[in-house]
Amino acid sequence: MSTETVYTIVDDLGALLLFTMILILAAGQIYRAIYAVAAQSFLIAVAGAVLAMATGNTDLWVIAGITLAVKAISLPWVLHWVVRKMNVRREVEPVIPVALTLAFAVMVVVMAFHLSGSLGPVRQAITGNALPVGIALTLLGVLVMATRKTAMHQMVGLFASENGIFFTAMAVTKGMPLIIEIGVILDVILAVLVMAIMVLRVRSTVDADIAGLDRLRG
Amino acid sequence: MAETLLWVIPLVPTMTALLMFTTRDRRILSAIDVGGSTILAVLALVLAREVRVGGPRALGIFRIDDLGLVFLLLLVVLTLAVSIYTVGWLKQALAVGNMKAESVRSYFALVHAFVATMVVTVLADNLGVLWIAMEGTTITSAMLVGYHGHQHGLEAAWKYIIVTTIGISFGLFGTVLVYAAAAAVPGGVGAMSWSAIMKVAPGLDPSIVRIGFIFVMVGYGTKAGLAPMHLWLPDAHSQAPTPVSALLSGVLIKCALLGIIRFQTIAAAACGPAFTSMVLVVFGLTSVVVATPFILAQRDVKRLLGYHSVEHVGIVVLGLGFGGPVGTYGALLHVVNHGVTKALAFFGAGTAIARYGTRDMRVIRGLFAVAPIGATFLMLAALSLAGVPPFSIFVSELLVLRAGIGHGHWLAIGIFLTMVAVIFAGILHHVGAMAFGRPTAAATREPEAWSPLLAMLLLAAIMILLGITIPASVDGLLRRATGVIVG
Repeated sequence: MSTETVYTIVDDLGALLLFTMILILAAGQIYRAIYAVAAQSFLIAVAGAVLAMATGNTDLWVIAGITLAVKAISLPWVLHWVVRKMNVRREVEPVIPVALTLAFAVMVVVMAFHLSGSLGPVRQAITGNALPVGIALTLLGVLVMATRKTAMHQMVGLFASENGIFFTAMAVTKGMPLIIEIGVILDVILAVLVMAIMVLRVRSTVDADIAGLDRLRG
Repeated sequence: MAETLLWVIPLVPTMTALLMFTTRDRRILSAIDVGGSTILAVLALVLAREVRVGGPRALGIFRIDDLGLVFLLLLVVLTLAVSIYTVGWLKQALAVGNMKAESVRSYFALVHAFVATMVVTVLADNLGVLWIAMEGTTITSAMLVGYHGHQHGLEAAWKYIIVTTIGISFGLFGTVLVYAAAAAVPGGVGAMSWSAIMKVAPGLDPSIVRIGFIFVMVGYGTKAGLAPMHLWLPDAHSQAPTPVSALLSGVLIKCALLGIIRFQTIAAAACGPAFTSMVLVVFGLTSVVVATPFILAQRDVKRLLGYHSVEHVGIVVLGLGFGGPVGTYGALLHVVNHGVTKALAFFGAGTAIARYGTRDMRVIRGLFAVAPIGATFLMLAALSLAGVPPFSIFVSELLVLRAGIGHGHWLAIGIFLTMVAVIFAGILHHVGAMAFGRPTAAATREPEAWSPLLAMLLLAAIMILLGITIPASVDGLLRRATGVIVG
């Protein structure tokens, strides 16, 4: 594959990633957000495979495989399982309206591209537009967590943030060391398991969403 | 010898954690706890001697230099004090039903797993490993924060794990950017270790490193409790079991500061010290200012100490930001002083809370009358935290101040002094009211347990010693560590 082709593919995948991010931001039902973040992780795995083919870096194949297995399949399944177990019936309104959130999101994306555009030699170090897309995904993940007061939405936002970092990390010339990427994914798995335990514990004792508790103040 | 210690030291708390599952007896568990912490402390002291003689050592992903040593020694001393404190604390907590007998061993195992992850953050040379261990500390300590299992504890634990996990993912982004910058210069390909990046640091692209450093500052700053990312801190510190609060405040936030310092040295070499100095001063001042009103208006004694940590982390970061040998030395000394003093304060507050059955400072009155020794230690800690001479925090605050004046940061100095004066009055008012006066009816008059007093004595001795005179060995270590940062 020529360098130009790889740049084009990475940019196209970046656009699709931003599209899935908008789906997550706009999703009312938690199931839709989970499917969208699973699709996003799948795209990250595809990006890993493309970059692996282009650079001949076998580590990236492993990372793409792990991303597919863990972030696109297993963890969304865990989230899905927790949601079913929690048996949430009603929708929780976001703190600010979805339309306003999307307006914010557009601003964040423009800002991320503007910021990266001001960097000269970044193109040598990071393939294509992976940096602005990564920054945008990370910040938008935080936006999801800030505007949604349900535990599951917050976990989805966390995933999206991590996806942004992974996308940028993959596109760094030569990729990150394999052992570090595996360690990071291991941490993510553990964090999700601990969060799931907490969510279910609160649900079983007080019938409330853990993210909705607000007794600690001042 | 020293190289062997580098991988043995993280193994000690790990093995201690696993050993906890061999028994259910509270006495044996406490013995393993204290024993494991003692071995850890002894090995760290041996390593300190080796490093003083032979300089920095590296083994694979681990490396120890004088800078890491400052944090490692603080960690092991506080871990030992916490272990001693836990003996008496646990007995009391079991008696009143705050802890359940069947969950004691998993509590101990989690504490040592938490210590193990913190040890790895201090010893990590590879910045990726540093991040992984930092996230590891979040996972282990989040379970400890919610350990009492009631609704408030779980709320605090959720806030803690969500805020710090998201914060720390910014830290990972920053790490990736610095790594990308290193990959773009000759000789830097594949360099993820701090020592390797430092070799090529002056040639790194400043604009990428600048963004990377800001991401790291937000990321590890969240973990360090810098405002405005400190939102998890007062909740977690107040809801966690007291020994865990002492570890969170005394050690964990210092480990995050070490992460910030590692990146500060890289960024200062790549973008010039003026940039890092500005970022650090802004975050430091914000923390000091934001903490002040909450300290004044506080009613929960552990939240008070939590907000106080925000202030003191701010002072450390201010010291780093003012920079130069004086500011950096002052910041490192403040790390040690605040760690020791804050752990002492949490111990004192913990025994008072156990005695009165509440964290509300309006109910805790007349502590001197019911528990004179514990009240004395709490008062000493409060005087030191407020910055009264001759206690150790006064010395380090003075050094930070001198560095600020030396570099002409007049505005920052003005704000800093005002806030410190207000907090001085606030904390002495709060703790004075707790210590003096007529005891409320809620207080039990049981004799004071020996193990918490022993732990407090250990920390108070260090605190007073560092205030009166800094021993030559400690001074030498801090000077060499300052040299690592300032260059």
